Amino acid sequence: MMHEGPRSPTEPPAMGVVRLEDLVDQAALEELATSLHALFGLSVRFFASDGSLLADRVTEQVLCRHLQTIPGARAQCARTIDVVKRLVPDGKTAPHPCFTGAEYLVVNVTYEQRRLGRAVLGPYLSPEVTSPPPSLLLVDDKLDPADAEALSPKMPRLTRERAELIAAHVQTSLELILFSGHKAWLTSQMHVASVTESYRVLEDKNKRLADAVDRLRELDRLKSNFLATVSHELRTPLTSIIGYSEMLTEGMAGDLTTEQRDYIGTIREKGEQLLSLIKSLLDLSKLESGTMALRKATLDVAVVTEQVVSTLLPTAKKRGVALESTVPKGLARLHADSEKLRQVLLNLTENALKFTPEGGSVRLSATLVAEDIDDDGMGLVLGAAAEERLELRVADTGIGIPEAERERVFDAFYQVDSSSTREYGGTGLGLSIVKRLVTAHGGSIRIEANTPTGTVFVVSLPTAPPSSS
Amino acid sequence: MQIDFSAREITVKLVYYGPALSGKTTNLQSLHDQSSAETRGRMMTLDTRDDRTLFFDMLPLTFTTEGGFAVRVKLFTVPGQVIHESTRRLVLSGADGVAFIADSRSAETQNNAAAFRDLKANLKANNYELRALPLAIQFNKRDLPDIRTDAELAAQAARGKEPVFRATAVKHEGVVDTFLGLLHLTLRSLDKQNDLRGKFGFERRAFLSQVAARFGDVTIEQHLATALTAPGAELSLTEDV
Repeated sequence: MMHEGPRSPTEPPAMGVVRLEDLVDQAALEELATSLHALFGLSVRFFASDGSLLADRVTEQVLCRHLQTIPGARAQCARTIDVVKRLVPDGKTAPHPCFTGAEYLVVNVTYEQRRLGRAVLGPYLSPEVTSPPPSLLLVDDKLDPADAEALSPKMPRLTRERAELIAAHVQTSLELILFSGHKAWLTSQMHVASVTESYRVLEDKNKRLADAVDRLRELDRLKSNFLATVSHELRTPLTSIIGYSEMLTEGMAGDLTTEQRDYIGTIREKGEQLLSLIKSLLDLSKLESGTMALRKATLDVAVVTEQVVSTLLPTAKKRGVALESTVPKGLARLHADSEKLRQVLLNLTENALKFTPEGGSVRLSATLVAEDIDDDGMGLVLGAAAEERLELRVADTGIGIPEAERERVFDAFYQVDSSSTREYGGTGLGLSIVKRLVTAHGGSIRIEANTPTGTVFVVSLPTAPPSSS
Repeated sequence: MQIDFSAREITVKLVYYGPALSGKTTNLQSLHDQSSAETRGRMMTLDTRDDRTLFFDMLPLTFTTEGGFAVRVKLFTVPGQVIHESTRRLVLSGADGVAFIADSRSAETQNNAAAFRDLKANLKANNYELRALPLAIQFNKRDLPDIRTDAELAAQAARGKEPVFRATAVKHEGVVDTFLGLLHLTLRSLDKQNDLRGKFGFERRAFLSQVAARFGDVTIEQHLATALTAPGAELSLTEDV
């Protein structure tokens, strides 16, 4: 057996000598023999190529049983059976006569012209045989011719032509079984091969994707480093610009005219704006690189919201927008960095004020929510009760954010449309910093619509466990 | 090829390749119908509801020489539809020869070329050397209008390396020619590599004549003479060892 190159899935692993017993279930052969026997009253035997019996369904004929009791006949019978077992027909079938006048028909079982084994039909007696032949009568002196006369006609009667038809049927049935088996085998081989192939292709793609992700991560890291370096380098000269303009305003370089003082005031004001922008860039890059340290302590969220409202109240008044907090004292305690939490709420509230027209309102509120509300309290018995979270809401009556944009507003430098940059100012950094700060606290942020108009930013934070209070 | 020394037989795998709907399955069907009953096996079609050929068709043919040496030929078709790329690659693996079934219509020229490039790519993926692979090309559907003319094909065959056959598979025309042409090329190549004559006393010429006889009265020489080839590359049965 030899094969060149990789083995094809369409070929069996080893052909060698193909054997019937390997291809067909023994039980299936027995069922086939049984049904043939029932249909034609004929004994059926299946042999492997080497002559060993695989399956049979046999009715012992009364004549044969009687002959077994007579030594000479028994020997003759054994010889006949031995020949029939080993007989390999040249063509499809070969008949073999028995000394009793009956006949066996040996059938080659083939598939794709390979001889796999044999089936033996019979004994059967041709309808033309009317009396026992001399070969039976003379087989042994002890055989009473009257017995032979009486028992011989009890054999199944069958013409050769009919036996050949039955043989063809046996061959066809077996071939169909073999064909279906072969087909199923090929199909499964192809399935396995094509699944393996698809897996290989997928693995390939996965690897390429993983490589691409690695490359992008590296680029992202480089970008953050660059951002951090540049921001830092910008801050140093800017501090001098602000410092010197301050000194000028204070008259340390002599008196200034009102006009000069105004100009320098503008320089200083713009310098401060620039500095705060640079600070946010630094914050962002620190958050991205994970180097921002959180100084966590247990705090009352109402204290923070009060502070935010009082800080921004002047701005709100100037814009003609109502600002209030409805967070009651003692509602919830958080384990958080108060400075950063304040920054989150300041950013969100400032943002809300910025986009709310005169006459509108900005409202801070808080609610406690049980997590996994759909669980129906399952797992309580295990002490795995749903955790409580605090949801802080900053609701405005501004222009609102279209649903499709709600995820993207947290990307750095993103604004819903660039025209709003000119109208409302801002760098587009605030919300991305907010999101990162909230995430660093183990929380999440989402946007809901306010009715009839406006936006609600919902910050969800884990509450502090009772033991730490 | 698989050689089984104990059973004195070889199994040869021939693959019918080509664009979708060029008539690969029709070729196999026609070979099945034209071959004698003792030669052909049951044709196997693995198919699905909405596709003409999901996996492949397989037709086994068995030829036995007087010396009791058996050549089993397994003919496979590949699915032509573009999406079955991986099935084509799998069926192609282990092929001893390839018949490329092209559509004669001028409008199909692009599809023929694309399928041939696909064949080349898949042969490469199976580590075949295209130059060493026995290949026969068949231009099928000669009965349709707007086809590439005989003169065009002859001119192209004269420049190519492989024999070109013309066929109308639905009318059983040219199918046996193509098969025998490919079988001839394949056995010549296998004989060279494995010395079948030395090992089994296998006489190619006599064998091919016997095979031709299984398909009717036309001799192997007449079958092979239908091929369009480059000058000097005619299919010849004189031993060229």
